[in-house]
Formats: sequence, C-alpha cells, structure tokens
Amino acid sequence: MNAILTEIISILYYALIAFLVVLIIYNMIKTKDWKKEIVYVIILIPFLLRLFMLK
Amino acid sequence: MYTSAAIVLGVMVLFYFIALRFKLSTELAMLVAALAGAVAGGHFFPARHVAEGAITYLDINLIFFCATLFMNILKESGGVAYAVRSIIKTFHKSRILLLMLLALLLLIPGALTGAGSVTVLIVGSMVAVVLNYMGVTKIKTAAIIFLIAGLSAAAPPVSLWAMMTAAGVNMPYVGFFWPLLIPCVLGALFTIFFLGWKGSKIDVDKAFEELPEPPQKMNWTRIAIPFLIFFVLMFMGRKWPHDTPVVGMPLMFLFAALASWLLSPKKIDLFKISAATLKQLLPLIGTLTCVGILVQIMTLTGVRGLLAITFITLPAFLVIGSLFFFLPITESVLMYGSAAVFGVPLVLLFNSMGLNPIVALAGMSVIWPLGDALPPTAIIGRLTVDVAGAKDSYGKFLKQCIVPAIVIMILGTLMVVYSKQLGFLTGI
Amino acid sequence: MDRKDIIRKSLIGVAGLVVMTVAGISFYQHRHYKEEVVISDQVQVKKLADYFPELSGSVNDCNIYMVEGSEPGATIMVLAGSHPEEPAGRLAGWILVEQAKMQKGRLIVVLSTNRSGTTVTRPSGAYPQLYTIPTAWGGQKFRMGDRWTNPLDQWPDPEVYIHYPSRQNLAYMDIRNLNRAWPGRANGTLTERTTFAFMNLIKQEKVDVVIDLHEAELQYPVINTIVTHEKGQDLATMASMTLTDFEGFSIGTEFSPVNLHGLSHREIGDNSDAISLLLEAPEPFLDATRGITGEKQLLEGKDAFVVKAGKHGLLYAPIDENGWPIATRVGRHTSTVLQILQSWNEFHPEKEIVCEGVPKYKELIEKGVGAFLIDPKTVDKGKVIFE
Repeated sequence: MNAILTEIISILYYALIAFLVVLIIYNMIKTKDWKKEIVYVIILIPFLLRLFMLK
Repeated sequence: MYTSAAIVLGVMVLFYFIALRFKLSTELAMLVAALAGAVAGGHFFPARHVAEGAITYLDINLIFFCATLFMNILKESGGVAYAVRSIIKTFHKSRILLLMLLALLLLIPGALTGAGSVTVLIVGSMVAVVLNYMGVTKIKTAAIIFLIAGLSAAAPPVSLWAMMTAAGVNMPYVGFFWPLLIPCVLGALFTIFFLGWKGSKIDVDKAFEELPEPPQKMNWTRIAIPFLIFFVLMFMGRKWPHDTPVVGMPLMFLFAALASWLLSPKKIDLFKISAATLKQLLPLIGTLTCVGILVQIMTLTGVRGLLAITFITLPAFLVIGSLFFFLPITESVLMYGSAAVFGVPLVLLFNSMGLNPIVALAGMSVIWPLGDALPPTAIIGRLTVDVAGAKDSYGKFLKQCIVPAIVIMILGTLMVVYSKQLGFLTGI
Repeated sequence: MDRKDIIRKSLIGVAGLVVMTVAGISFYQHRHYKEEVVISDQVQVKKLADYFPELSGSVNDCNIYMVEGSEPGATIMVLAGSHPEEPAGRLAGWILVEQAKMQKGRLIVVLSTNRSGTTVTRPSGAYPQLYTIPTAWGGQKFRMGDRWTNPLDQWPDPEVYIHYPSRQNLAYMDIRNLNRAWPGRANGTLTERTTFAFMNLIKQEKVDVVIDLHEAELQYPVINTIVTHEKGQDLATMASMTLTDFEGFSIGTEFSPVNLHGLSHREIGDNSDAISLLLEAPEPFLDATRGITGEKQLLEGKDAFVVKAGKHGLLYAPIDENGWPIATRVGRHTSTVLQILQSWNEFHPEKEIVCEGVPKYKELIEKGVGAFLIDPKTVDKGKVIFE
C-alpha cells in the first residue's frame, strides 16, 4: 500500500514540475520585460532538469 | 590560493555593483557576479556549475509556489476576508488578547515548516489587515510580520538552520526544543507589543464597511477544510512516519490549495491564478535560484572557503561579539546555505571552546533569520512589505525593525555566551 | 508581440536551453558512467537483491563481492561508498576486491553501498563529477558521489526525518543518508530498504565483523579513528595499538554513542550478531573552509585554508602543506582493515581469516593507488564487472 502511494506521490511531483514548466514558458512569452525573460529562463533550467530526470 | 580567491571575490563584488548600476534586479546581479567570478577563476563556460547551483533550492521553490498558490486561492475565494471579519468581531474588545493571538498565528506556520516565508504567505496578509484596523501603520505591520516570521522559522519543531548545521556536524537534532522555543516566544511577544501596542481602538463598523464582502456561501468550514488537510497530512507524517508515505511539504500545500479551489463559492480559473502566483513569486524564486548558482561558483573558486576561514580565525571574542551582524549578513547572501558554510565551522569552533553546541546553535538560529530583510537578497523582507501593502521606502521598513531586532540579537548572543550555563534547557 | 520580441525571446530561450543541454548531458554521463572492477577466480559476485528481492532492478541493487579462501574461517564484510563523497573508502574497497587472495575465511566487499549516492554530486558543492587515478596504463576513472541518495531515486523529503525504529528526529535530508538509515525496514524508503537488505545479508551470511569505510572533514572531532560498537571494543583497541606501534601512523578508538541512532556502528551491532566498526580517514575536501574545489584538491588533499584552520587549533587532525594525498588515506584504510583481521585472529584462533596480496599504508604511499588497480583491457571480458 505504502509503495503504491509513494509511486503516486512521485508521479504527482513530476506532474507539478511539468505544470510549472508550462507556467514558466507561458509567463516568459507573456512578459514584455527582457530582464524578467532572462530570470524565467534561469528558473526554467532546474525544473527541466528534474522533469527529464537528469538531476 | 589566497590571492586567486581574493581576486575572484573582488571581481564578483565589482560586477555585482556594476550590474546593479545598470538597473539589473538583485537576482540578475547575482548571476552576473557568479558568471564573472567563474571566468576570473578560469571557468569560461561553467554550464554544469550554473545548472547544478540552480537546482540547489528546487524543493524550497516548490514549497513557495504551492503555499502561495494556496493563499491566493483562499484570498480569491473570499476566505481571507471572511476570516478577518470573524476575528475582528470576536476579539475587538481586548487588545492584549488580540495581539497575543496574532503573535501565535504568526509563529505556527513557520515553526511547522521551518520557512518564515510560509508564515508571511499563509497568515501574513490576514494579520496585516487586522493590525491595520487596530491602528498600527502598514510599515510597522510589515516589521511585526517580518520579525515574527523570522522567529517562527527558527522556532521548533522545524528550524532549518539548526537542522542543517546539526546534520553538517553529525549531531542529532535533539535537545533543541526549549533552547529554540524560549527565545522565539520572548522575541515574538516583545516585537508585537513594542510595535503594535500603540494604536487606536478598532472601529468595527468602519472595518466591516471597508473589508471586501465575502461571497454569501463562504463559511468557516470552507476555510478550515484545506487547513485541516494540510495539518492532518503533517500530523500523520509525524505521528506515523513509518506507516505513511513521505508526502513532502509542496504536495501538502498543493492538496490544501486544490481543496480550497474546490470549496470556493466563486469559480476560480486555476491556470490563471497559478500563472499570476508564479509572476508574483518570480523575484523570490529567481533569487533563490541565483543564490544557488552564486554559492556553487564561490565554492568552485575558493571564495566560499576564503570567507569562512577569515571569519572563524578571528579572535574568539570577536567571533562571538560579531555574530549579531555577521550571521544576518551571511543569511542575506547565502540564505539557508549560510548554515552549511558558516554554521558548521562555527559550531565546531564553539564545541572546541567548551561551549554547549546545542544552545549556542539555537542562539545562532534566532539571529540568522534577521538577515532575510537585508540586501542583496532581502527576499522575505521584500515579500513582507509587499504582503502588508506598505508603500513606504524599504529603508523605513528596516528602521521599524531595528529595536526588536537588537533585542533578538542580544538574546541570541547571550545564548551563545552562556550556552554552557543554559545547557539544562536541552534536557540531555 | 512583434518580430523583435519574438527574436529576443527566442535568443534568451535558446541560450537557456544550451546551458540546460550541456549540463544535462554531463549529468547523464556522470549518472551512467560505468566504473570497471577486475575480479580474480576467487571472487564470486552476488547482488544485494539476492538478500531482499524487492530491491531487484533498483539503482541500489549493488554488487556484492565475495572473496572466499580455500579453508573455512571468519566472514568479514567491508562496506565502501556508504557516503560516496568519501572516495578513499571506495578505492580501498577496489584494491581489496582486485588484490585480495584469501587463504582462510571469507571477505565480503561492497563498493557502492549507497549506489544511488554515487550517481549525483552535491548542488552548490562544485564537486568534480569524475576523478582519475593515474596508473601505468593511463589512468582509471571513478564517479564522485554525494553524501545522500540521489533525489532522482528518492523524492520528496519530509520536513523532518524520523528514524526507524528509534523515532529520533534528524535533519530532513538525512532521510537519504544511508549511514542514518540503519537498520532499515522492508517497506521504507529506498535508503531504508537498502540497509534492510544489508542487514539480511549480514545475518544470512553470518558475518562476524562489519567495517564501514568513511572519510571526514578535519574540523570534525571523529577523525583518524575506529568507531566501535561495545562488542568490538577489544578488537578495535588492539588494532589501533598495533597500527600506531608498527605501521607508522596513529589511529584512535571511540565508542559508538548509545543515543545516536541510524549509524552502522550502532545499529548493525545492536541488531545482529556482527561486530560493527567504522573507520574515519581525513579528507580536507570536505572541510567547510576548503579553498578552490576540484579533482586536484580531492586527490592531493592539499589546502592552504584548511592548513590555516589547523594553525588556529580548529582541527582534530594535523595537516601541513603536504596535505592528505589519496594514497595516504587509502593506505590508512587498507592497513586498518588488515590489522583488524589480524587482531580478530588473535582473539579467535579457532576461526581465523587470512588474507594476502593487499598493499599496506607504506606500500601505497610509495607506489600510489594506481599501482594496485588492474587494467581491465588485459583480462577476459567475463572478469570485468561494472559498478
């Protein structure tokens, strides 16, 4: 039971990360400030690395 | 090694200020400083180090996002307005009781999660509204919320500075409860009474007129259930840690947020509110990400070691005597990273001086969060000013913090100095 | 959004993707790098999942090297890589597997006790991802690891780690610290399941002594020492005295604190018949005051800042400008392990363990670690195992 729940929790975390990746890209496209665009791209890096299970 | 690390440090500082001069935000200035430092250290394309540093605070960023999303949904649904109205209605007659209740309210979320920002995000806006109706200016309100949020982060059961330092020196996180609780409660009460005592009586009619009208269907059940879900999940993890899966704080907040969304009497666009939340948090998440990058490059180039060795080899009285400003400064640059970089060598130093490491570390943990108001990062300070809706300059906010901050610094320093005599507090 | 915006956004986005991709490739290569181990005919390789099938297919289903002598005797197990950021333990383990010739008894060696921890380096730590030990045949590469299980294999962390079964509270990330997860549990986290499997192994194989190899920062009080469970008091003391007298280096003994839970020296001794010992060698690379961080510092163990800390009396191990080179640290481990076997024989002549071929402290310093690593290209493919 615990193992199944742990698996579900893990999937939810990756889903959360994926959702954040979408949000970051969406906000990056929407913003008009180039400085904010850079910050969005910087914060995107760790989320993508986790999403692709690289780090 | 000294020369090269000192040169890199110089380059970092120089580029940091140049970046600020060109009107870049703090987080981008830190990134610029990190990249310039890397180049000065001979690392011309440090992609891996940038990415590895950037992921340092991934989990904390997730907590920030989910907690803020929860609060934003609660606000949007009218829950916050409803709760504030009820508190004012019930407690408006007794200022002492109300202030103590607010202090307690501010202490709980941070104590449970170890993050002062969670206190600010969860109860900050609610407390701010109540304090404003009590005649406390917005800038004083911001100071109260910030200072108690910092103490809440240091308060037991979860104090990240103490935990991370204890882990770094292979010390179990045991015996910290009273050494952390006592200064935090004392500091919180002093802060709220010092800054919040003077004011006016609450004009209930006026408050009710000005407060946004919550939707008709809003009630305590709709507000309480999401909180209940959060606390039940946390309680289960503590009570039955070996029979329940690890949920983690981000997901606890996310479940609370989803419950609050489902229970909202008003329809809320989940994607829109999430995007707005991310936009609101961009400076915070951006700063944490860039701090991670900066620390990685500082470590790579020896700057981190240079700073650590310089500080801990000062004469003992200077080390202890300067903790009150040194710790907040390290916090302002490294955030929780300061526990690993400076907390670990300091506790080992105190241990070798015959001080009680648990009480000394508890004393340090109370001082650390004060740095969250200081530039360059000033994340929680800025966040609090924003949440409290204060429009004054940031300097005015800092000025309001000074007296209680000094009291907290003295409390913390005394705990380090008299840690041996206070050893009984650990119960070990 | 006009053309200019699109171009600018694309450029910024591509720059970010380039950084992400270059870094991502290096993380992937590190995580999947195959370290080579050469085994002799005397070595039998098992898997940890043989003792706890639920671990099969997981990243922590590590190799268990059994070096068995022709005559029966004691069984001694060496754990390396509990903390994969402490390379001297793993390298000492490598030398034991590749060089040990057992006459009597059985030596069990684990090179990647927390295999997951060998696949990640610490965020903000600026660790090198791989390090190369120079050899006559060009050098052998090893993965540098972290103190904790890779979050890719165990995520999320709780707000506080409550140890099983003692319920002692520990810092949240220590839920991924294998040396805080003993004795483990069958339905726990990956880290706890790993230690649970090792406890099964220890019981099933009737291990007499478990030696857990570690390194520590010089500012940490438990260093250059053998930490022992009460059961190993005589063994550790005798080994320590003999080493100090005859091997040219000093090593102390300390007792495992009774109230500090989750550590191998406490829990293995408490929860099995085995004696549990833990060896600490000095690793300046781990000091919070270390200077420029990289492969050179890791292997040479030289650091001007740590030397300065020593001059101010802040360290628990001596250090000068010669540092603590990897050969010295590995040599301390191999010599101490061999001496523990020797001392065991003096207490248990009826159940001896005799091991030959493993270089000691002085020989390692003289010839270097690389001299005792075997070139995988010179042996049959079947004799090369991957970690």
